[in-house]
Amino acid sequence: MLRRSKIFIVALFFLFPLLSLSQVPERFPKPDFQTDYTRPDLLTPTPRSTALEYVDVGVLVIALSLATYLAHKQRSRRNIFLLMVFSLAYFGFYRKGCVCSIGAVQNVSLALFNPAYAIPVFVIVFFVLPLILALFYGRTFCAAVCPLGAVQDAVVLKPTNVPGWLASILGVFPYMYLGLAILLAATGAGFVICQYDPFIGFFRFGADFNMVIFGMSMLLLGTVVARPYCRFLCPYGVLLNWMSRLSKRHVRITPDECNNCRLCEESCPFGAIKKPDEAAPPVSKEAEVKKLAFLLVLLPVIVFGSGWIGSRLDIPLSRLHSTVSLAEEILLENSGQRTEMTDSTRAFRASGKPTEELFAEASVIRDQFKVGGWILGGFIGLVLCLKLINLFIRRRQLEYDVDKGTCLSCGRCFAYCPFEQVRLGLITPEEAEKMGTREVRIKQFRA
Amino acid sequence: MTDKIAKKPIKRRDFMRKSLHAVAGLTTGGLAGILFSKSSSEEMVWQLDPNICIQCEKCSVNCVLPHSAVKCVHSYSMCGYCDLCSGYLQPGTKSRDTGAESQLCPSGAIKRTYVEDPYFEYTIDEELCVGCGKCVKGCNSFGNGSLYLQVRHDRCLNCNQCSIARRCPSRAWKRVPASQPYILKGDESQRFLKS
Amino acid sequence: MDRQAEDNKRKDKTKLLYNIAKRIAVVSAVLAGILSVLMIVNTIQTKAVDPLNSQAISQLMTRLEENPEDTALKEQIRALDLLARKAYFTHQWQIKTGSYLLFSFVLVLLLAVKYMSSLQPRLPDLSKSPEPDESWESKLLSRKTILFAGLGLFILAFFLGILSQTELKNIGIVRTGESQDTDAFPDIDEIRDNWPGFRGPEGIGKAYHTDVPTGWDGPSGQNILWKTPIPHPGYNSPIIWGKRIFFSGADRRAQVVYCVDADTGEILWQTELNDIPGSPERRPQVTEDTGYAAPTMTTDGQRVFALFATGDIACLDFDGNRIWAKNLGMPDNHYGHASSLITYRDRLLVQFDQNSGGHLLALKTLTGDLVYDQPRDVEVSWASPILVNTGSRTELILNSNPFVISHDPQTGQELWRVRCMQGEIAPSPAYADNMVYVVNDYARLAAITLGETPDVAWEYIDDLSEVSSPLATKDLVIMAASYGTVTCFESKSGERLWVQEFNEGFYSSPILVGDFVYLMDFSGVVYVFKAEREFRLISQNELGEDAMTIPAFMHNRIYIRGEKNLFCIGD
Repeated sequence: MLRRSKIFIVALFFLFPLLSLSQVPERFPKPDFQTDYTRPDLLTPTPRSTALEYVDVGVLVIALSLATYLAHKQRSRRNIFLLMVFSLAYFGFYRKGCVCSIGAVQNVSLALFNPAYAIPVFVIVFFVLPLILALFYGRTFCAAVCPLGAVQDAVVLKPTNVPGWLASILGVFPYMYLGLAILLAATGAGFVICQYDPFIGFFRFGADFNMVIFGMSMLLLGTVVARPYCRFLCPYGVLLNWMSRLSKRHVRITPDECNNCRLCEESCPFGAIKKPDEAAPPVSKEAEVKKLAFLLVLLPVIVFGSGWIGSRLDIPLSRLHSTVSLAEEILLENSGQRTEMTDSTRAFRASGKPTEELFAEASVIRDQFKVGGWILGGFIGLVLCLKLINLFIRRRQLEYDVDKGTCLSCGRCFAYCPFEQVRLGLITPEEAEKMGTREVRIKQFRA
Repeated sequence: MTDKIAKKPIKRRDFMRKSLHAVAGLTTGGLAGILFSKSSSEEMVWQLDPNICIQCEKCSVNCVLPHSAVKCVHSYSMCGYCDLCSGYLQPGTKSRDTGAESQLCPSGAIKRTYVEDPYFEYTIDEELCVGCGKCVKGCNSFGNGSLYLQVRHDRCLNCNQCSIARRCPSRAWKRVPASQPYILKGDESQRFLKS
Repeated sequence: MDRQAEDNKRKDKTKLLYNIAKRIAVVSAVLAGILSVLMIVNTIQTKAVDPLNSQAISQLMTRLEENPEDTALKEQIRALDLLARKAYFTHQWQIKTGSYLLFSFVLVLLLAVKYMSSLQPRLPDLSKSPEPDESWESKLLSRKTILFAGLGLFILAFFLGILSQTELKNIGIVRTGESQDTDAFPDIDEIRDNWPGFRGPEGIGKAYHTDVPTGWDGPSGQNILWKTPIPHPGYNSPIIWGKRIFFSGADRRAQVVYCVDADTGEILWQTELNDIPGSPERRPQVTEDTGYAAPTMTTDGQRVFALFATGDIACLDFDGNRIWAKNLGMPDNHYGHASSLITYRDRLLVQFDQNSGGHLLALKTLTGDLVYDQPRDVEVSWASPILVNTGSRTELILNSNPFVISHDPQTGQELWRVRCMQGEIAPSPAYADNMVYVVNDYARLAAITLGETPDVAWEYIDDLSEVSSPLATKDLVIMAASYGTVTCFESKSGERLWVQEFNEGFYSSPILVGDFVYLMDFSGVVYVFKAEREFRLISQNELGEDAMTIPAFMHNRIYIRGEKNLFCIGD
């Protein structure tokens, strides 16, 4: 063997991946200053005081109460609009749209399933308060307090009617979004509602480029389809829908009674007005009952089947979790199917954590997704079945009334009702009785 | 006769509604109760652990703000005040001056001023710093590690889900209580522990 | 009349306001539209060329490295840098101001349009009869839509779920993370029945298959059953488990593991290991007589393990599939890493002594995860470990400068150390009957007795080996030097029994086969002599080519890796 002098390479030291870079040694001694130089102070600006969060809660309480009062008692569309503008300014542009009640769904899910997460008290209030209010008074939150709703409401220009069949199928998306958001939040994979919130970029004056484009498209869409996110995407809207349906004191179009004058028919841009339906359906009752019975028998099968399908989605869904995707990347590299390390795998290998531990964690998360997948699948199956069943049930609608689940209590329809005009003292009760039976001009007014 | 029949279904429906109403109310109340038992009165904010950070430069790109809320901070207690500062100067640079070709920082945010022989002071101008971490990498590799990245809470919006935290490859981001919003190095690390 | 006039006046006023609002709306819409387009274009432009990571500046910087004194170049860089920074901050300002402007335009637009729409109530066409939205046609259509959409969703989700594959399932990792069951690794009898590593089972140069030929001739082919050419060179010795022979080869470009059938000599598979994560982009500096594939492979009966001079270590199954591979870091070794691998139960042990410090690494055979990294305060070494049961416990004994250290293979903890070595250590230790023998030229041949406090029992300082590892039996110790001198000692006392000079030198180590010793010199000639107090040559067998490796001894067969071919010798 030839003897050679050693070649000492400093840089090799840093290629050794087993050496952890976390503890950096003090390579150069601290200086001993001879002059009277003093070291500057490291500034540590503090975040927004927690006390201000409680101010937000206070504003929420006041806004919600005011919204309910304005919708139920005062019945003034203009004031609701002004409150909506205030909410947009405060909760939207001032508070930058965060924390919002819609996102709070995720925080709640995480808090329920992850003992390590301590949910702040005001987030609980943001989640619970609009629901309680909706349970008693309807979705007054949507009309006047929610900033996302407000920004969409602000761009409603020429709203069109969404055909019934389209609305019913699009109405499934919020349920799917809700289920998915809860699953992903509970397993710690991330907060999808926040990630794909189209409007928060405008509130913050800063967002990922793709989200800006998405947001702009939603707003442009919103000019012709009123409140598209609220009606067909909002996951919190599902919960509000349920609560609002059960409410006793929901707003009504007429303050008094309805004489079917039809003047409010086209007034709702959100399609939340139920019109009186015809006397008898043109299909045989027996056939309908048979189909319904068949559906009811199939219901558990469908729910079980969709739950099973949901559980099989554990592999693709769990990949949304960073731990599982890291474990898969490590596996791909170890088995030679991928030749380049990524930043994440390089950092993981340098951390010295055994891959076995990572794989064990990933397996646990995949199991969580399996269970969650059962629940999510079953839930979606149940929702579809119930929607289908709902289309079999015939409800006799005798007058014009709001759909309690989807009405946002915005008050646009009030002005169209002649009895409302009577209440405001603009016309006499006799004139109100005559309306609708003939074409009578409606007086323009400001309420 | 018709009245009674009319009343019965309405009553039944009303009863259904009322009982579901009660169930919904109780569930929501119960849920709120459970959540309160797991709650903290304090708000949580985002922060990154400089001991885990690998200076991948993603902090400057992923913040929702156009000018990232992550900035480089300097622990003056740890700094060696070296003439040949590996966080300020490009590796392999021949001249130790403030020329653009010698500086590591792409936006010129580090200011170098002479203190006394042979010490130089390095300060960060946060308006210019983009949070890329190039200086941090240099300081950690060949210096004392006194330069490091931190979330600045006068800029951070405290999003419910931090876009940078989601993409951090070394998982250095965590939620910390708002009363201890910084993970500091050096002597300054005691600052928030006392409270 | 008055009321009519009043009404008309109001109508005109409203119409005027309406038109004004319309004009304002149009203007602000156009402005907002233009501004949006400008901002989008601006953003796309900046995304394409990031001013802070400019290609132009990096190119100039590389030029500056070559001409550090070029002041004109420096000025150019400074000017470009200023432009880049200006561009970046201007873009920031533009986006910010643009956002605020856009916001105000949109606000004005919305106010105007809202005003306009408030003047136009949505009234139904009362001439037409109302279209109940709950009409049966609509309901039936809705039902169909939901049915089909639901079915479509289920089918989509079904296929997504079925077709999703993940590697995470196939790895077979025990969920609890505990060690594998005992069936997974071979016991001592199985190990001795095969040739699983450098210098045989336990690494001490003792073969357990003694029914091998004592005579053959390479050039004429006598007793040569087959001869297979090896594509890639390497100084590692072949290892054998069952009917499979494994060895590796590497050059500047490739790192390959081969599997040859022990009966036919046919290459069953060869797996290239060129894309291991973390592998250095440039090959390390190695000398010609070390090469890139000096460490001998090892096997635990189910998997084979190979280590190369780049620090790449890989685990393959018996069919050549890669199970795991990683890089331990480029060894700081000026000749090239040479220490061979050995397994202990579920651990793969690596003697990783470098210029920057010594390490004993243990990796899990199943996954390659690090179990322990035991630092050793020794210099760089090219010797390989031996794994022996010294009576009450199993010890992993490593020869290095300046200590011979024994470790517990399970935990890596040091059991004992003796200071007796110096220089660049290549010979591995020998063991027999409670004594360990280590040697290095310019140091000594030291015999260490084990016990409460192991210590040197005797030493010898002439004709020392520099590469070949010594062989020990209960009674004898045999050492071969690289210039051809072979010395034999009495094991307990150190009394020199005989010295024999040979024509060629020895890098290969002597192997004990029953009562005989097989020793191969540089030219591939194998000398067979008796393991006795007197030197008695039994045979001298030519291979036909140079060889520096250790022959492997299996039932009835001897396998020798020459420089170019792998030979199988048998009756």
